[in-house]
Amino acid sequence: MDEFEEILQDFLVESFELIEQLDQDLVELETRPDDLELLNRIFRVAHTIKGASSFLNFDTLTHLTHHMENILNLARHGDIIIDAGIMDVILESIDLMKALLVRIRDTRSDGGLDVSACVVRLDAAVNGEAPVVAAEAPSAAPEPVAVVETPEEEADYSGMSDAEVEAEIERLIAIKNAEAVAKRTGGTPTASVDEEEPDYSGMSDAEVEAEIERLITIKNAEAAAKRANQSSESAAVSTPAPVAAPAVEPTPTPTPTPTPAPAAQAAPVAKPAAPRPVAAKEDADAKGASVEQTIRVDVKRLDHLMNLIGELVLGKNRLIKINDDVEERYEGEAFLEELNQVVSIVSLVTTDLQIAVMKTRMLPIGKVFNKFPRMIRDLSRELNKKIELDISGEDTELDKSIVEEIGDPLVHIIRNSCDHGIETGDVRLANGKEEGGTIQLKAYHEGNHIVIQIIDDGKGLDTDMLKSKAMEKGLITEKEADGMSDKEAYGLIFRPGFSTAAQVTSVSGRGVGMDVVKTNIEKLNGMIDIDSELGQGTSMKLKIPLTLAIIQALLVGVQEEYYAIPLASVLETVRISKDEIYTVENRSVMRLRDEVLSLVHIGDIFEVERVFDNSEHAYVVVLGLAESKIGLIVDTLIGQEEIVIKSLGEYLKGIEGIAGATIRGDGGVTLIVDVAALMQMAKSVKSTVGDENSAGKKLGTKNSASDYCVMVVDDSKTDRTIMRKSLESMGITLVEAVDGVEAMNILKQGDHFFDAMLIDIEMPRMDGYTLAGEIKKYNKYKNLPLIAVTSRTGKADRMRGVESGMVEYITKPYSPDYLMNVVKRNIKFNEGL
Amino acid sequence: MSDQLQQVINKQNSALIGDENKMDDVVQLVGFIVGEEEFAIPILSIQEIIKPISCTRVPQTPTYILGVFNLRGSVIPLIDLRARFGLTPQKHGDETRFIVMKSGDDVAGFVIDRLTEAIRMPKRDIGPAPETVSEAETMIDGVGKQSDRIVTILKVHKLLERNF
Repeated sequence: MDEFEEILQDFLVESFELIEQLDQDLVELETRPDDLELLNRIFRVAHTIKGASSFLNFDTLTHLTHHMENILNLARHGDIIIDAGIMDVILESIDLMKALLVRIRDTRSDGGLDVSACVVRLDAAVNGEAPVVAAEAPSAAPEPVAVVETPEEEADYSGMSDAEVEAEIERLIAIKNAEAVAKRTGGTPTASVDEEEPDYSGMSDAEVEAEIERLITIKNAEAAAKRANQSSESAAVSTPAPVAAPAVEPTPTPTPTPTPAPAAQAAPVAKPAAPRPVAAKEDADAKGASVEQTIRVDVKRLDHLMNLIGELVLGKNRLIKINDDVEERYEGEAFLEELNQVVSIVSLVTTDLQIAVMKTRMLPIGKVFNKFPRMIRDLSRELNKKIELDISGEDTELDKSIVEEIGDPLVHIIRNSCDHGIETGDVRLANGKEEGGTIQLKAYHEGNHIVIQIIDDGKGLDTDMLKSKAMEKGLITEKEADGMSDKEAYGLIFRPGFSTAAQVTSVSGRGVGMDVVKTNIEKLNGMIDIDSELGQGTSMKLKIPLTLAIIQALLVGVQEEYYAIPLASVLETVRISKDEIYTVENRSVMRLRDEVLSLVHIGDIFEVERVFDNSEHAYVVVLGLAESKIGLIVDTLIGQEEIVIKSLGEYLKGIEGIAGATIRGDGGVTLIVDVAALMQMAKSVKSTVGDENSAGKKLGTKNSASDYCVMVVDDSKTDRTIMRKSLESMGITLVEAVDGVEAMNILKQGDHFFDAMLIDIEMPRMDGYTLAGEIKKYNKYKNLPLIAVTSRTGKADRMRGVESGMVEYITKPYSPDYLMNVVKRNIKFNEGL
Repeated sequence: MSDQLQQVINKQNSALIGDENKMDDVVQLVGFIVGEEEFAIPILSIQEIIKPISCTRVPQTPTYILGVFNLRGSVIPLIDLRARFGLTPQKHGDETRFIVMKSGDDVAGFVIDRLTEAIRMPKRDIGPAPETVSEAETMIDGVGKQSDRIVTILKVHKLLERNF
């Protein structure tokens, strides 16, 4: 496919996607006109379409979107309030934008639709005047270009099938022929119709008609040829009837009454002829490419395959978990080895399969990079700067869904580099640099990530200037500015509404572009790293995970809950002692090497009730996303696991801080942390990091003997009675359970706070070892003394007891005093009184 | 004699036809107890009924949402109907069940105290919801009267609607 054509396709697909979302957003906006987030989103759509269309040279579209952007920008800053009247104008302009896009899709040109009336109304709205009543039809506009076309015809054609279109063409031709003949016989002398370069303005109506007819014939032939070609090509699924459309275009133009000046009429006729050579070239290319050994596969099928693999990975995780359990229970049995082999083969094949399927979804990033040389050329001409683009690593592959998302941010970054980064030629020469600036665009793999680097040798970022601009716009306070590191100051450029440009140009300056970058990169779980040296240039590093559906995650525990954090966002984990945590202005921070890292406890974010926590150490997971960093305090680190992202469904969607859920090896559901949202939430969460010690102490306070509580777990009534008798004299509270399952249930109910448990080993349903293992899984019971009371005396039994977390091992029979002493020692009886 | 026979046959026929007519107007429901009351939902909106399994709490949700659970690979929300109806929560017992209901693409599990039975109820035995509750807000589709008791029929799509 032709390069321009490919870019155009991408632009159209993207624009239609954006518009689809836009419609919903606008409807929402009418009910919630104060929603800044929504306005920002709508504004970004207009901005993105404007940006792309300007470099594709769709002037009408650019013109329209530029004015839309203006009005939305005012609304965004609260300078105007969107009322019904303004909303009408905006909606009208969006309809017009859609019509233009449809037209571009069908004809590769945005000419022929008049936007000036709408633009006038948009401007009127901007200036606060009452918008002109929409009754003023576009056709009444003063511009002579293509007023002849009625919108209804337009709509008709786009909705037609190929066959219908052909029939319509034939009908129109017939009419035209008849008209032409009638005119000619009507007495007007025929001029040289077969003139090589006809001077349309000098022609009579009849001549024009004849010329049109001639063009139609040519077009028809071309269209037929193209159609034949196209049908052999299995591509072009995305554009409905791109073949027939160009053929249609010339025909409707002359249909209306011949009242307009011939010049006006002729112009649109001639226009569609322009892209013709491109089409011809495309055909040739397509033929050449057909030898390739590839099959085109519907993306849906690949997605389905990916989903199936996801399920397989979950199954594999589960199998591994079961294998571990079985290994523990039947140690030394012969069949274990066989099972082991099978499990490892399945796991190996699954991993390979997953990689293979991932590879089928991979596209070279060159697909995105390809459109930049052209963009740079246009921008450098527009900005009057000499800029060279140096691309490397365009063969680097990454997942299709990511390739689609990465285009936008890159456009904005590169525009920014051109506009703000690279200086004009004379400034560069004055600073002792070469006259021409260079922008390097690099892509390479780094572990499970792809890194895209955009490096310019421009003027670099001036942190002082950034800070003062941000203060000027009220984004930060003076105090915040003083405490900012260089990196944080660079991060300011990603704030919505931030811009260093003195005036708004069509290239940049509205403070949206970098906001788009941040949003999109965050969506991909990527990170942005900015480096800059004043006067030397700026380097922006985007680090993006290779794939989205199946990810590596770090599993962390807080109390008895588990959460999965995408490993892509985890920079490192550190174990710190609690006194390394400082409190600054009600926020917890810690010193990590030469940085100050703000901390938040995962329990505060997810409202986890912290029952008991007296360990002196904490684990901090350092999270990085886009350009920001935060330390997340967790109770335990479980480990790394491959997880498949599943949505929480319609009912629970949009829970803040939760990106989805995954199913673990044990069949349980674990929630996946949305790191971007978590960072937002961390700003408003009240820290309780320091409070937990006092809470822990309160629970532990004992005032009388009956505050001590011990659970007795034994299936024999006699044994329970013996234990009760032995301990009764102490006056402590005793709770009985007949087996492990009941004991677990009592623990979970939380009616009592136990100081120790006496556990028999041989029990129905759940034995003592299993019970101890289960209890120790819960963080809050980590320090609960478990005492085995059993008649099993073997050394192996004792060892198992210790392994499962028992602190004492009492063998039956025992003396009541002995039991009492052991219990007293373990619950620190009377020490606290 | 033959007249009598004819009468009997006619009677039987009309009874049969009558039955058929009634068949069309019968709704099939599944009854269950939450708290003290008996409720019912159309049998066709039930995907399955399962015994309680463990679920994972989801933060930032109302208390009646117990969390999510794994139903053969799908992650499904679990809603406690006791809490949803403003009753005090209760520990899951032997008779506690999860009813997995669906309406369109929406699926959720609901915790109920115990199942009663499948009910076949003629439409004419179903009265409208009490008028004291507003039409748009109510989860009650109607009230079914049976010989010895009253069953509240719930709107499944309303139960599955997110209201926080």
